[in-house]
Amino acid sequence: MTRETIRCVPCQLVNLPPSFMTRLYLSNDTSSRAAGAGRLADAWSERPEIQLIRTSSRGAFFLEPMVERDTPDGREAWFNVVPDDLPRIVGGVGGTPVAGIPFLQQQTRFTFANFGITEPLALDEYQTRGGLKGLTAAQGLSPEAIVEELRISRLRGRGGAAFPVWKKWQVAQRTGSEQKYVVANADEGDAGTYCDRMIMEGDPFRLIEGMMICARAIGATRGHIYCRYEYPAAARAMRFAIQKAREADLLDCDDYPFDLEVVTGAGSYVCGEETALLESLEGRRGVVLAKPPYPAESGLYGKPTIVSNVLTFATIPNILANGGAWHASLGTEGSRGTMALQLGGRVKQPGLVEIPFGLTLRRVLDQFGGGMASGSRFKAVQVGGPLGSLFPESQLDIPICYDAFAEAGAILGHGGIVVYDDETNMVELARHFMAFTADESCGKCTPCRVGSVRGREILERIQAGGGTAESLDLLKDLGETMKATSLCALGGRAPYPVLTAIEHFPGEFRGRLKV
Amino acid sequence: MTTRHSSRLAEALETCRPVPPAKPNILKTLLAVQFALGHVPTSGIPQIAQVLGVTDAQVAGVLSYYSDLRTQPPGRHLIRVCMGESCTANHGGRVFRAIQEHVRIAVKDTTPEGRFTVEQMSCAGNCAVSPTVMIDEDLCGRVTPPLVSSLLEPYK
Repeated sequence: MTRETIRCVPCQLVNLPPSFMTRLYLSNDTSSRAAGAGRLADAWSERPEIQLIRTSSRGAFFLEPMVERDTPDGREAWFNVVPDDLPRIVGGVGGTPVAGIPFLQQQTRFTFANFGITEPLALDEYQTRGGLKGLTAAQGLSPEAIVEELRISRLRGRGGAAFPVWKKWQVAQRTGSEQKYVVANADEGDAGTYCDRMIMEGDPFRLIEGMMICARAIGATRGHIYCRYEYPAAARAMRFAIQKAREADLLDCDDYPFDLEVVTGAGSYVCGEETALLESLEGRRGVVLAKPPYPAESGLYGKPTIVSNVLTFATIPNILANGGAWHASLGTEGSRGTMALQLGGRVKQPGLVEIPFGLTLRRVLDQFGGGMASGSRFKAVQVGGPLGSLFPESQLDIPICYDAFAEAGAILGHGGIVVYDDETNMVELARHFMAFTADESCGKCTPCRVGSVRGREILERIQAGGGTAESLDLLKDLGETMKATSLCALGGRAPYPVLTAIEHFPGEFRGRLKV
Repeated sequence: MTTRHSSRLAEALETCRPVPPAKPNILKTLLAVQFALGHVPTSGIPQIAQVLGVTDAQVAGVLSYYSDLRTQPPGRHLIRVCMGESCTANHGGRVFRAIQEHVRIAVKDTTPEGRFTVEQMSCAGNCAVSPTVMIDEDLCGRVTPPLVSSLLEPYK
């Protein structure tokens, strides 16, 4: 076969001796593709000299598309790669040791230990790197002992509510029922968060393993992954992974099969709230229900149901494999373990950061965020999604943990951190937040349904120059009412970003008022 | 609803007919209909309700609740501009205005020749490479206003 004919055939179809080909690693994560990884794969698809392995992403998205190759001293990487960089990479010129990338080196990766290294759907690689050890450990324990291990771990739910996981599990375990359910909340609606998407696309077996441990602990035989409509690649990866797990006979819970399926939502933010999610899973309008009863006693189709966030389930395999005490040894008094922080907005280095709780917000922004994007100046940072409070420069020394945030009247939420620069108009941003709640309110309770619309109208009036000092008082009063009387966190938290914007940037609001 | 739509609706519904003891699932059914037809025609509500054994009002209620269910056929290409916080912080509003200037239609409208429908979305989960524009299933990151016309060009 001549060189010319080889060029016409995709490299996978040609049996070249391995020494001929350089094995390169390129992330297939949605954000890596959005940054250009897909263009690289297309451009290089017929190059015979390389074998391209599509992995998960390391989460250092500011370096994407990033290409790696093996060296005797570990992987080397090339950053922000364009198709013409291939000869340089194949020649081994100008790479950086992955172990020397400060953004990654300073992290403590447990839940995200496989990211950037493995092929997401390679079950053997998952197992080689310690996968399924947690499930194996759980299979050697009684359901009560699994819950006890979680109690010792002091794991709190990572979706936003931060409720102790073991308490929910214990309730579901002790509630007698012939049918129980495990539901992964993959309706990652908080803008600024993407770690659930990364887990589903990049390490799907970890989510399956976490859900199966839960199923064993509570005695569930059915599970659902409620994945948002905006994540088609994540839903696809999960479906493939479930199929592979089933073929490998992994989906067996004691002696009976664990039935797991992916269900997609249809664009409703409030479906991230557990009762609304279960309504939606049953096919109805995703409307919030009053609690109690809690889903752990009476959830899907009235049966005991554990609803937990994807990140929570993905944290559990390591806890069972290494012991609850290991997990409890990380983090701060009230916040044990690691947190996946997701940096976005105007930082220089947006990406995924897994570190033990306790570092200050300022350190996270400096050390990992790398400061501000070029040419922009810091104005405020929002933590915890569209319902999270805004922090000005003077309040950045707050430690990242549930207690400190609760004390400050703020939320850590699902770990989204979005930085705004000085070109941001705070009145417009506040209006944006209220309009979001008005759009997404399920309509069940009046404070949220009506309050968010009135709030948006007041802000529109201020923006148009028609507001008075009374408008601001009215907005504050309305905010306090919504906080105190809304049925769920959507209405109850919606006033926080608006009121903190007014509190920290009063001049911008007053400057718009009628004299 | 055209005859072609009507028969495709019937076909899509066949796969959703609940087999006892499974309960009817309205949302799953509407998503299946949208997958088959590209949208859920409101004129099909009675037929859907009948197959599922629920009321027309229940179907209409679910259809109007979820923003990703559409009752009008979209253009050949659906442009969704992310309005999430990270995109907003990275001045995605400017990208949105550039797109509107390019296609000259309002949100949720379709261009006269049926090429594009424009929508806003609340977060694509692509926050680390924002601002984000999604065209059909293609997600584009780090979009700036000058890139808009070359971005849309391949979608005929």
